[in-house]
Amino acid sequence: MTDRLGWIDRRRLVQLLGAGGGAIAAGLPAQVFAQARKNTLVLGIDISDTITLDPARLAQYTSPMTVSAAYDSLVTMKPGEYINVAPSLATKWARTPDGKGWRFTLRDGVKFSTGNVMTVEDVKWSFDRVINLGDQPSQYIAHVDRVEIVDKSTIDIILKQPAEPLLTIIAAPEFVVLERKVAEANGATAAKDAKTADKAAAWINSNSCGTGAYRIAAWERNQQIQLVRNEHYWGGKPPFERIVIRHISDGAAQLLAVRRGDIDAAFNLIPEQIAALKTEPNVRLAPLASLDFVYMALTQEPEFNKALAVKEARQAIGYAIDYDGIVKSMLGGAALRPAHYLPIGVSGSTEEIARQIGFKQDLAKAKELLAKAGFPNGFEFEIIYGNAAVQGVTYQDLGLKIQSDVARVGIKANLRPVDQVNLRTEYTTGKAKGGVLTFWNPPAVENQLWAAAVVQRVAKRVHWDPPENIVKLVSQAATETDAKKQHDLWVEWQKLVVDQANHFVLFQPVYQIAVRNTIKDFPLTAAGWMLDLHGVTPAGG
Amino acid sequence: MPRYILSRLALAFVMALLATLVIFLLANTVPGDPVLAQLGDLAASNKEFVAEWRAKWGLDLPLWQRYVIFLQRLFQGDLGISISSQRPVLQDIRDFAPATLELASIAFLLALAVGIPLGIMAAVRRDSWIDHLARLISLIGVSSPTFWLAFIMLAFFYGGLQIAPGPGRIDAIALPPPSVTGLYLIDSALAGDWATFHDAAAHLILPSIVLAAATLGLITRTTRASMLESMQQDYVRVARAKGIRERRIVIGHILPNALIPVVTLGGLAYANLLTGAVLTETIFSWPGLGRYTFRSAVSLDFPAIMGITLIVAVVYLIINLLIDISYALLDPRVVR
Repeated sequence: MTDRLGWIDRRRLVQLLGAGGGAIAAGLPAQVFAQARKNTLVLGIDISDTITLDPARLAQYTSPMTVSAAYDSLVTMKPGEYINVAPSLATKWARTPDGKGWRFTLRDGVKFSTGNVMTVEDVKWSFDRVINLGDQPSQYIAHVDRVEIVDKSTIDIILKQPAEPLLTIIAAPEFVVLERKVAEANGATAAKDAKTADKAAAWINSNSCGTGAYRIAAWERNQQIQLVRNEHYWGGKPPFERIVIRHISDGAAQLLAVRRGDIDAAFNLIPEQIAALKTEPNVRLAPLASLDFVYMALTQEPEFNKALAVKEARQAIGYAIDYDGIVKSMLGGAALRPAHYLPIGVSGSTEEIARQIGFKQDLAKAKELLAKAGFPNGFEFEIIYGNAAVQGVTYQDLGLKIQSDVARVGIKANLRPVDQVNLRTEYTTGKAKGGVLTFWNPPAVENQLWAAAVVQRVAKRVHWDPPENIVKLVSQAATETDAKKQHDLWVEWQKLVVDQANHFVLFQPVYQIAVRNTIKDFPLTAAGWMLDLHGVTPAGG
Repeated sequence: MPRYILSRLALAFVMALLATLVIFLLANTVPGDPVLAQLGDLAASNKEFVAEWRAKWGLDLPLWQRYVIFLQRLFQGDLGISISSQRPVLQDIRDFAPATLELASIAFLLALAVGIPLGIMAAVRRDSWIDHLARLISLIGVSSPTFWLAFIMLAFFYGGLQIAPGPGRIDAIALPPPSVTGLYLIDSALAGDWATFHDAAAHLILPSIVLAAATLGLITRTTRASMLESMQQDYVRVARAKGIRERRIVIGHILPNALIPVVTLGGLAYANLLTGAVLTETIFSWPGLGRYTFRSAVSLDFPAIMGITLIVAVVYLIINLLIDISYALLDPRVVR
């Protein structure tokens, strides 16, 4: 029967099936954008966490990069220098004569992207707005009492606790200067009722009114953020006409795109993808030594786990984990490991110090401690973790690694994967019954933010009531003005919390960013905004 | 017929509400706290701050009260504010739906345009090489994991041969066309911007092939099976006995009868494409509803979850209605 139905010939069939293939050929991307590409910087990065570009509302991981390109703060941090701040919109600063705050001298002739000159009122208004909006950034300057104008180029920030650190915190892109007139015209307010009266969200998410090298021109959610050159930038003419921060969620797609030159840099590559780039002549790898870290928190609540309530038993876990194995074999060496919550690079934390005072694998010692704790045959505990990965290493793999490490001294770790929201709920409300594998990075580079967390909220989560001397040491170290003494105090503090054994920092990632050689300078920073966009320059340009 | 449609619409409305109730109850059995998921470490430990945020989303109210508020808002055309994007859910959906609609529609058309002719030919020339080829294509389409196929396509056509554009809806440095419908093909055509039209069309090719693959397989197989069944019918023999040309028999007599199950399947497949493109959207960085749905679900973003549930329910109900109406068009006997 089929033979008689010969009305479809081979040629027509091929035509039909070829329609799909023909469509691909028709889709050859013309090089219409070649000219524009030369003046445009394109970054490939997963920006799905970006939910706001309002400096006073920032709380995500990737949004600070955009905000720091469009706005400037009074002081900043230079890449690699995370202890002392550098001038930005303020050229000089010193304690106020009464010692209750800090006095800043503003840079002369700074203009906003509108061309208007920045005034001291803009600075005060911007700080007032952060405080009165009461969103997450306001909590980091909760010790600021008020901002006072001294004269037209001088401003005071008065503190409730004058000794508490300020400069390192206000270097973060949450505390930048907005052009008051433009912001107010678009619904912003810094008044006491800003919490409900500020309606700037829609405008400020697709525009900007700062002094930064670039101006935000558009933000299409989950697609891209467009920045254009600020012709009035105080730091000289920015080299690119446009910057496109392109959302590419998948690392493999980023790899293809950076190889082809569709993007100039790829931010979310995992170790295997990075290895694939080692032989690529047009792409180099730029290390970003972050101040983030992945750690395991361990409860000491006897009702949850009798063994974990004993310090020596927790220390035994600390001595059983093969930290070098995690850094070397799981991360290919692209990571550091601090002794505790203070990442390598800040005051009191270097690789050398971490080696001296941090835990290292010592199985004999672990067994000894177990015997001392009264559990010579080991014990059982639970580890929870979310379905996520840092630098391509999943928490699942980390959990398995720790499980096999502690098994060597007779400790049985039961792994329990939970979703991210539950993990956070269990952990922050102190309901985690054993270990928790998670990640942290603070909003600003200030030791106190890390250290205070350990003795305050993170202590509560692991049911630890920190002794007075450890708590005091934090404020003593944070307020110490002599750099050497401060360094020693932080080392002292780390020794105490390492001994306490509630937190084991597993690694501090050194992210590898793939950058095309068409880009010359690419100043990556660990200070919280990943990249100093104003300092990126084209090769041969 | 109009009465039939009206009663079906009323029923659809009730069904959509029921769907939101079910999802509302289900989502609330998850023990996590969506507010904690959104807050930074410091804020999440500040009891006042957390309480304030919970109140902002009405999460401090009893369950039944929250659902009543949801219904009240719904009747005012308001789906509430998303917890994770902190924007109106309706605005989020308006932003993300066009990308999905465009991709799913192109993928669906592609699946139909290839699947139906392929299925017909496979049936007409049963056991010939065309039939085997059709079987192979459907098998590959149905059985390839989407993320794998997506990546292979991208690696081969974009990375290797370099004849297809990369992820995203348009080139990294192109600007989207002025938004009218949100569908880039239509918007760029309206603006007369043919470079962008071309760019947007090119960016649609790979993801729509990937998304179409599984549907294509199903449609080919269903068309073939349904054609074969219809070919055995008496009226085909009668037609043949009357000496009607084979081509007319196939197109005029067999095909209309064979298409009914294809329409049912096709409709549901289209609804499926519209609502279930998470993996394709992820690998192609497609800013659509699939990713939004996924993120809302993992962050327990109740208002967004409810909004999406409603949209998905409405899409399925409307498509089902259209399927039923199309039966009437294809087969006059259905209309009473």
